[in-house]
Amino acid sequence: MSAELYLEALETPRARGGRAPDVFSPTGWVPMREYPLDEPVDFAIVGTGAGGGTLAAKLAEAGFSVVAFDAGAWWRPLSEFASDEEHQQKLFWTDERVCSGDNPLVLGTNNSGKAVGGSTVHYAMVSLRFRPEWFRSRSLLGYGVDWPIDWQDMWHYYREVEQVLGISGPVRYPWGPKRPRYPYRQHELNASALALARACEAQGIDWTSTPLATLSAPRDQAPPCVYRGFCVTGCSTNAKQSVLNTWLPRALKGGAEVRDLAMVGRIETGPDGLASGVHYHRDGSWHFQRARHVVVAGYAIETPRLLLNSACPRYPDGLANSSGLVGKNLMVHSNQAAWGLVDDEIRWYKGPPSLAISEHWNYCDDNKDFFGGYAFMSQGPLPAAWAETQVGNRGLWGQALVDEMEKYNHQVGLKIVGETLPQERNRVSLADERDAYGLPIARVSYSFCDNDLRLINHAMRFLRGGLEGIDAREIWSETEGTAHLMGTARMGDDPRTSVVNADCRSWDIRNLWICDGSVFPTSGGVNPSLTIQAIACRTADRIGDMARRGEL
Amino acid sequence: MFSRTQLRALAAGVTTLLSLASLLWQRHERPGRGRLLHTHGREHVMLDAAHTLNRGAGLLAFSVAADSAMEHYRGDFQNRAMYTPLVTSVLSLVISGQGQQDPRAGNNPLRNAVYVGTIGTGLAGTAFHLYNIGKRPGRLSWSNLFYAAPVGAPSALVLSGVLGYFSERLRGETQDFIPRIFGLPVGQSVGLMAAAGLLGTALEAGLLHFRGAFQNPAMYIPVSAPPLAAGLLVATVAAGPAYGRLRWLSRLVLRFTAVMGLAGAGFHALGIARNHGGWRNWRQNLQAGPPLPAPPSFTGLAFAGLAAHTLLEDGRELAP
Repeated sequence: MSAELYLEALETPRARGGRAPDVFSPTGWVPMREYPLDEPVDFAIVGTGAGGGTLAAKLAEAGFSVVAFDAGAWWRPLSEFASDEEHQQKLFWTDERVCSGDNPLVLGTNNSGKAVGGSTVHYAMVSLRFRPEWFRSRSLLGYGVDWPIDWQDMWHYYREVEQVLGISGPVRYPWGPKRPRYPYRQHELNASALALARACEAQGIDWTSTPLATLSAPRDQAPPCVYRGFCVTGCSTNAKQSVLNTWLPRALKGGAEVRDLAMVGRIETGPDGLASGVHYHRDGSWHFQRARHVVVAGYAIETPRLLLNSACPRYPDGLANSSGLVGKNLMVHSNQAAWGLVDDEIRWYKGPPSLAISEHWNYCDDNKDFFGGYAFMSQGPLPAAWAETQVGNRGLWGQALVDEMEKYNHQVGLKIVGETLPQERNRVSLADERDAYGLPIARVSYSFCDNDLRLINHAMRFLRGGLEGIDAREIWSETEGTAHLMGTARMGDDPRTSVVNADCRSWDIRNLWICDGSVFPTSGGVNPSLTIQAIACRTADRIGDMARRGEL
Repeated sequence: MFSRTQLRALAAGVTTLLSLASLLWQRHERPGRGRLLHTHGREHVMLDAAHTLNRGAGLLAFSVAADSAMEHYRGDFQNRAMYTPLVTSVLSLVISGQGQQDPRAGNNPLRNAVYVGTIGTGLAGTAFHLYNIGKRPGRLSWSNLFYAAPVGAPSALVLSGVLGYFSERLRGETQDFIPRIFGLPVGQSVGLMAAAGLLGTALEAGLLHFRGAFQNPAMYIPVSAPPLAAGLLVATVAAGPAYGRLRWLSRLVLRFTAVMGLAGAGFHALGIARNHGGWRNWRQNLQAGPPLPAPPSFTGLAFAGLAAHTLLEDGRELAP
């Protein structure tokens, strides 16, 4: 196969003619139902990631007619995911955006994906539950805003998602209320994870194996993880349980249609003020799919972009934006790290990058000079990513970079996923420039606030202490860096201060829904994918209930 | 590759087949069949049981030889001591083969020495593995029980040595009274030892199958049948000469366990096939997948249990 063939999926749509790529075979197909454009489907879903893909499966299985759109390609992991960091950038959303603010975001690797299955195709598989108190962080912890959903409700849906993804997790989780057993057992720790364990023991805090969405034993058509280590550039064995190989096969079986390489540019609203369908670009031209309901699940940049770009005389500020909050309160996770060098051979590229974790500072509120919490995990950047870290953070180049890279196999590191506070000044808006589809590109402005910086400082002190505790040398702090996207269409109890309600239904337009990380009112100190899927499961159940009661 | 429904059907089907096979085997058993062919009745019962024990010891030794070779190779033989179980288990295997072919009664000092050495290596191995676990973060945690040096594995070597040691004791006995080992009549002694071995091995299978999340329902078979066999065996020993039905059932479940040990290797072969690349990638998957040589340990121990039955029967005949 030539290099071009590995990019074939980007050239022409694959899901058509009654079939879609079979992700469990190198070249095969599975049948897919198709829906005509001019008859309204029950749900048109924009995006097939953790929010949209999950919802598509659940709604299709509940008997609704569903068409889901994704701007990205439909890859077959077994034959099209290379062990090559550069090549695999094909999975990232790297379309042009204008990034500004004190801490302009770097978009792509760890915060946005462009593929059927969304960024779960290249996520680090870290599948954590929110701390129960975070759902009422304003009332209980004094910061952010309360969620409109009860934590026990969410924990019920966490359970569902963990079962569907066959999460491999520890037998006993050290923090928070007792949780049911993970469906699969924890993975073997690599040397990088053992370094985290020793650092935690040196600091006197708990640590555990990270609950991961990669299999530790066979399951259906998927084999257990082979610890290849290319998780965040796309798993080529299907051990990773992504939306691409879990929810979407279910969606297709349930009768959903998924259109790949289909960029939705605008949601149409009718004279009644309701959404009537979506305009999407596929195969070189624009089409219109009629729908009774529209779900936006494009993640925290593309979702507000689409809502804002769908402005019309009736909704001059964009759809669902009577609160003025669409695009605002963009949140990320601070993603700083402490790195060091040890005598032992570590070879951190082996296995999933974050096999061990401590959530100590998510659950412990003592002696904090900041609001919120952070988790930290062991690390395993692949060589190119590590070289990039050296160049970007330390300005190493030439011989100095070569010398530093010689130490690669002895490097250890601890990296945080830190909560950031919602701020209205952090926002997504439309720029004047237009992209290849002729759509205005997103302007993304982001700045840490003082509390975010205090959290980062606390974390850096603590992590450096941990590395010193295991006698690491040449310790340095990576102070730049963010991961994940949240906010920009927050859920809430009050139409004046939120965009959607607890069911992800927009306050302004009753047949317009938003179901992805955008609806998070606060970010929590954990990776968001599990929570997004749990919200999607809950939304699907609520939609089913409402349909039965005739409230749709 | 396999849906959960297919796996359930497979587990049910195989359980049925195993039950039928053990029933057939039980039916073709002819009590005292050997004795009719031999003039030295007493001696022969002992020899017959000794041969069965040799067979058990050999099977366990084979299991350990193959398993420790693969696992210690995977561990890169980082410690020279990691060659030891390989050497002793092969010796035990060879000497068990020789013992099984040896029609002579009477002790053989060389076999005896090898079996005692095998026991010693197994005990030392257990200590080594515990030491290995103790120095890892988390100490006696699930993570280390799952993935560090397996605590239970060296015990198979101990069991192999003990079975062999018992077989030597039996060969030494020719008198017309019930011989004793460790203060117990030989049948009871062998029975209790086999039951303990079955329980321990089931415990190890339980730990590792728990690690595999019992993803295939068949993984429950080796954690339920052997403990049942062990329980029935202990009950048989405790019940004394009467209770023919109990003995029948005990033998049947032991036979089930014996056949299951062989079928287990087949299931592990299937497990290997379900790893990425399957058998085409055997060089990696023999190590990454479930251990192919482990399940026949159950067969070895079940043989010991059946030998105990032979001895118990004999003890009954001799009882006043």
